[in-house]
Amino acid sequence: MKILIVEDEPKTSEYLRQGLTEAGFRVDLARNGLDGHHLANTERYDLIILDVMLPDIDGWRILQSLREAGKHLPVLFLTARDSVNDRVKGLDLGADDYLVKPFAFAELLARVRTLLRRGGTNSVDANLTVADLELDLMRRRATRTGQRISLTAKEFALLELLMRHQGEVLPRSLIASQVWDMNFDSDTNVIDVAIRRLRAKIDDAFEPKLIHTVRGMGYMLEASGEA
Amino acid sequence: MAMRPLSLATRLTLFFAVAAAVVFPIFGWVISREMEDHFEEGDSAELAIISDAVIEALAGVQSASDLAPVERRFDDILIGHHSATLYIAKDDGQLVYSSSAHPDLSGIGRAAIGAPEGDTIQLVNADDQAYRVLVRRTSRDHPALPDVHTVVVATPIDYHLTFLASFRRTLWLMIASSVVVMSVMGWIAVRQGHAPLREIVNRMRRVSANERAREIPPESVPRELSDLALSFNEMLRRMDDSFQRLENFNADIAHELRTPITNLMTQSQVALSRARTIDEYREILYSNVEEYDRMAQMVGDMLFLAQTDNGGSKRESIAIDLAAEINALFDYYEAWADERDVSLRLAGTVTVVGDRLLFQQALGNLLSNAIRHSPSGGTVLIELGRADDGAATIAVENPGTPIPAEDLSKIFDRFYRVDPSRQRGGEGAGLGLAIVKSIIDLHEGTIEASSDDRGTRFHIKIPEVAKAP
Repeated sequence: MKILIVEDEPKTSEYLRQGLTEAGFRVDLARNGLDGHHLANTERYDLIILDVMLPDIDGWRILQSLREAGKHLPVLFLTARDSVNDRVKGLDLGADDYLVKPFAFAELLARVRTLLRRGGTNSVDANLTVADLELDLMRRRATRTGQRISLTAKEFALLELLMRHQGEVLPRSLIASQVWDMNFDSDTNVIDVAIRRLRAKIDDAFEPKLIHTVRGMGYMLEASGEA
Repeated sequence: MAMRPLSLATRLTLFFAVAAAVVFPIFGWVISREMEDHFEEGDSAELAIISDAVIEALAGVQSASDLAPVERRFDDILIGHHSATLYIAKDDGQLVYSSSAHPDLSGIGRAAIGAPEGDTIQLVNADDQAYRVLVRRTSRDHPALPDVHTVVVATPIDYHLTFLASFRRTLWLMIASSVVVMSVMGWIAVRQGHAPLREIVNRMRRVSANERAREIPPESVPRELSDLALSFNEMLRRMDDSFQRLENFNADIAHELRTPITNLMTQSQVALSRARTIDEYREILYSNVEEYDRMAQMVGDMLFLAQTDNGGSKRESIAIDLAAEINALFDYYEAWADERDVSLRLAGTVTVVGDRLLFQQALGNLLSNAIRHSPSGGTVLIELGRADDGAATIAVENPGTPIPAEDLSKIFDRFYRVDPSRQRGGEGAGLGLAIVKSIIDLHEGTIEASSDDRGTRFHIKIPEVAKAP
């Protein structure tokens, strides 16, 4: 998977490149709008991360020229202004998602993966399996080592999200937005409590533990990994 | 485009000038009429006295021979009545007496023949002189004067007219200068009268963010301006209050940011002071990430507040079923509330128009605040309804220790915490309720807090149909 980052801030762009490379992506970096515009229109990418505020050609122009050229690869734009206008404008111009600076890297990674998956064949699995944990999506049933585990609707949705993104760190804000459709930063530990309850049902009585806390970033479900 | 109204000084000066220009000439006209009447009466009385004396003298005369001594008496009568002249004739045209040829009174005497008895006064111009002339016809029944006589007495009145003319000239000159003086005085009076206004203006001009202007004591200005002074003082107090809040806010931002930065710096410097194990470094980075996260959230919240303060960003206006939103929020907070042994209850239903995400955030903040401050075993109650004026009402109530009144008024202030010692206890930066208020403001609603032994209650009112921005 090849990603283009168009970002003029040197430190930000360098860390984004490092982070995404280490997450297994091939990354090209453009440090100004002209280079970004050129690369985006000549090379083949699976996704573009676009800073809106660029010194020469702004992100909107690049996005517009891409869409006019009939390229429909996913575009995630970064904006420093948390303004609804920016959001609306970006989405109107055909961007697929956006992030407001400052953002958590885990959040960016999760969104990038979601966007890349959306483009590909979206597997409509009837079942999700991680180790000995199974989720029957049709009958809304969860089992571990064959034992039936009763979950509330939200717990089921939370587990489904974690299993669909197994091996990925999911930030709390993403979990709140995906499972509960809550799109604001809560100053409470609601997600931690919900995860604790889910753990009590699927992890406490079993080995190995599947739900892992990634400090400072979020939660991850993985069959074998360090805590 | 409407013309700018005339200045107050011009208006009042014009008013004074017009008033003076109307009143003074009327006054002058009345005075000069009085003067003329006075002179006319004086002249008429004098002429009547002369003719009375003449007729008395004439009464003794029976024939032309007796006339000579009487003529001398006529001369005596005329002396002392400055240059009066006399003409007497009988109806048959016989001239009895004429004091002088100038002015020629014979024409007037002849013209009066046949007129009824009595006096007539007339003005006559002769030889470039003006005269007042009395024509008296004696009575047919006069006991001592069987023949009807015509007595004509004239007195020159030029000196009266000269005097009157000069008097009038002086009078009109005075009137004209009075109008000018009045206008100037009016202008000065207006300027003087406006002095307290200018003083207020000067004080207002000195008001700035840096210098808090002094208040204007209402008793130091004329009564008409005391309302203005009072409003000005009130405005000053409100601005003072805002400045104070702003200053506190800036200080709070600095303080809130200083703490995590100090933590980060100290921790990193201590970590670098000697070699550590990988795990120790990892631990430090984790802890740093937590601090960064907190700062990022705070900056995000402050940006949000700054935007809503500036009139708010464009927002959607859709119908929102608040009961559904609150049930979703209950779903979200349920596990957390459950762990704290707090139950959640919703009563009523209402639909408002506004931005769904903003309402979600406002209600979410209020709900988490209520859950956090409820004691174990308590119930957070949200009531939805309609006020008498059709507005949507939302009441969020939680049991707990009452909040003192002086804290209640500041509860929506940024960074305000009822209990300062509870800072940074994992409950955000104290911006939650400030955000709630700014969201409600954005929807043209109101929010109030009340607190007593039963608990704390937030009352929100939202106009049912929000106007499109």
